[in-house]
Amino acid sequence: MSKPVLVIGGGIAGIQAALDLADQGIQVYLVEKSPSIGGRMAQLDKTFPTLDCASCILTPKMVSVARHNNIKLLTYSEVIEVSGRAGDFNVKILKKPRYVEEENCIGCGECVAKCPSRVPDEFNLKMSNRKAIYFPFPQAVPLKATIDKEHCLFFTKGVCRVCERFCPTKAINFEQQPKTIELNVAAIIIATGYDLIDPSLAPLYGYGKYQNVYTSLEFERLVSSTGPTNGEIIRRSDGKHPKSIAFIQCVCSRDVKINPNCSAFCCMASVKEAILAKEHLGDVDCTIFYMDLRAFGKGYQEFYKRAMEEFNIKFIKAKPAKIEEKPETKNLLITYEEQVTGVKRVLEVDMVVLAVGVKPVYPEAISLEKNEDGWVKLRNPYLDPVSTSIEGVYIIGVAAGAKDIPDSVTQAGAAAVKASILAWGGG
Amino acid sequence: MKSEVILKQPEVSHKVLRVSPELPSKLIELGATKFYRCFNCGNCTAICPLTEGKVSYPRKLIRYSLLGLEDRILSSAEPWLCYYCGECSDYCPRDAEPGSFMMALRRYLTTKYDWTGLSRLLYFSKKVEVIAIMILAAIVGLLIYFLHGPIVLDRVELETFAPIHIVDTAGLAVFFILATLLITNIYRMYRYVMRDDQGRRIKIPLKFLITDFIKTVPLHFFTQMKFRLCKVWNWINHLIIVYGYAAAFILFVPLLRFTQTNEPFLLVNPLSILGILSTIALIYGASVAIHGRVKKSQPMWRYSHSTDWMFILLLLVTVVTGILVGIFRLIGLPLATYITYSIHLMIVAPFLILEVPFAKWSHLAYRPFAIYFAGLKERFLASRGVMYV
Repeated sequence: MSKPVLVIGGGIAGIQAALDLADQGIQVYLVEKSPSIGGRMAQLDKTFPTLDCASCILTPKMVSVARHNNIKLLTYSEVIEVSGRAGDFNVKILKKPRYVEEENCIGCGECVAKCPSRVPDEFNLKMSNRKAIYFPFPQAVPLKATIDKEHCLFFTKGVCRVCERFCPTKAINFEQQPKTIELNVAAIIIATGYDLIDPSLAPLYGYGKYQNVYTSLEFERLVSSTGPTNGEIIRRSDGKHPKSIAFIQCVCSRDVKINPNCSAFCCMASVKEAILAKEHLGDVDCTIFYMDLRAFGKGYQEFYKRAMEEFNIKFIKAKPAKIEEKPETKNLLITYEEQVTGVKRVLEVDMVVLAVGVKPVYPEAISLEKNEDGWVKLRNPYLDPVSTSIEGVYIIGVAAGAKDIPDSVTQAGAAAVKASILAWGGG
Repeated sequence: MKSEVILKQPEVSHKVLRVSPELPSKLIELGATKFYRCFNCGNCTAICPLTEGKVSYPRKLIRYSLLGLEDRILSSAEPWLCYYCGECSDYCPRDAEPGSFMMALRRYLTTKYDWTGLSRLLYFSKKVEVIAIMILAAIVGLLIYFLHGPIVLDRVELETFAPIHIVDTAGLAVFFILATLLITNIYRMYRYVMRDDQGRRIKIPLKFLITDFIKTVPLHFFTQMKFRLCKVWNWINHLIIVYGYAAAFILFVPLLRFTQTNEPFLLVNPLSILGILSTIALIYGASVAIHGRVKKSQPMWRYSHSTDWMFILLLLVTVVTGILVGIFRLIGLPLATYITYSIHLMIVAPFLILEVPFAKWSHLAYRPFAIYFAGLKERFLASRGVMYV
């Protein structure tokens, strides 16, 4: 008989680790702090280098997790306390109240349709609105509604309760309380992913100041059919299709004053986004400003070549110094030195997408040893790249170091095997 | 687009590029302590308020230096076009301090333009610098010892102590020697700069040499107007210092016979007022520089080479002894006046002799001439069809 394993974070890495453990007959607790699993990958439109639809390959895995007999999915929950040692960790988990009984909610969406309160939608990076009772996105797993207490009229003003009135299964429960769950697990896998670094740390790119400057993640939502514009690429300033888009690499990455590390996936992500822009708009000039184009994975160099030859995307080797806005058109002027010729130029474009670097997110309940740069210290980056310095605690995906989806999934499998050794009483 | 650009680059020359592997370490010694960190992103060039089009720096120059392409560095007037606002250093993603690199290049070029070799010795050895100052001070001291006039002790008779014809002659001699050295250095600079990327000499017709000179050099010499685009306050401070020096120079070189007299020093007198104003300007300049360099309040003051401190020190001693001479004359202390005046001359002489042709001060000529040469060169290259698209 095996002991259970805890996986923290329900992104693609956590999902894969949970499935790989559960398929061995090990009981897995998958804890996700947001209302749905899926993580960052759920926000992406397509994946490189094959241009597969991200949701189409992610959603089946999400559903497998939800249906797996050996996986106990704890969404809208956070690990608040961890003690013990490898093979015998005591874990306390706080299950936040959704104010919706999960057993009763059938995900019909009646409540969402009737809710009068509009809230900026985090999933679409606040480029659209959701309701105070909501599903984070259409393919959410579990497909259970959640009430956002901060914005719900009943919780803020004491009125409304419309959702309760219209719910066909009487699932709404405003009296729901937070629950603490205590578990004993053999191993812990951390897959808590990343946040984008605040792009205002690179103030000369004008993010937040100029309407038509986007982060790469915003652009992903913009091209996505579940996004704020249903997949139509339009400018924030005037709702028009851009005729030219510039993608700027290494924003808040590889800069000793902000973040010295390479964020690994942005080069290919931008190549992909430029291709998507071409596919969506046809008549658009795409230019990628890069320092070194890091096409390191299998099929990536070919993808890069395809972008140049098949899609006619321009690549300029330069780190632009600044972006200025033309007040009358809201177009953007990018100043850079082209390295091939050493000539300083200005390029005018309709839209700019900043490939913003990433910073890791870690669970507060576990005090991980960190490097100077704030990233987790791996036990041995070469030979044991999924182990933290705490025995029995493994770390995978971007939380362990910036990487793309294939590498995250690979690490998930590796950590699953490490954890399973402890689960079966070995190690 | 990219491929076109490559095709339109100048034809490949058969001339072998000379590589100086020691160039980077020399520049490190001269203050470019971090430039090897550069990964060639071009952020520095792009952010520079003075670069435009083909006139692009610092990135290109860092690249040349890291590759040891000394000839390319020597043929660049660009280092003198930079006024060290420090934006490049502030925003460098590698913290490679391109600004201090440009400063180091200026020091390096100063050593290369100078044909005597003294500049190189001064910049690369603190010991030589100190010894050179001491020797020059000693020579001046000995000259004063042997040539001074009668020492009148009942009242201050400065002209009697330091006969005007001797001081004036010595001053003029120094002036002409320095001017000659500086002009020959400028000529060497011209020879270095007027080469294209392939090392081929560029010949400029005399007509253009003259008309361009008239149009650029005096204007930029007197206004340093390009500095304005860099950081306005630094430009204004610099102007104050420049005109402080200019006033001091006029008072104590061409007008020496009116300023170094046996008459008691009067405070209300046009020359005295000018002298006081120039003193205030120089003290202001020195304090801004000292404060800035100690606090490292701007990128341009973050790295101070030993020669920068020596410059400030010599300036301060010059100004302080100058003020003391004035005070002693004013209150009528003959011996104190003569001694301080002797010390003043012993400092002023090495200050001028070392700094003007061999060190920091030479930029007063190199900067306006660089603008002049760069303009000529750019026009010539454009007319020859070497243009990047």
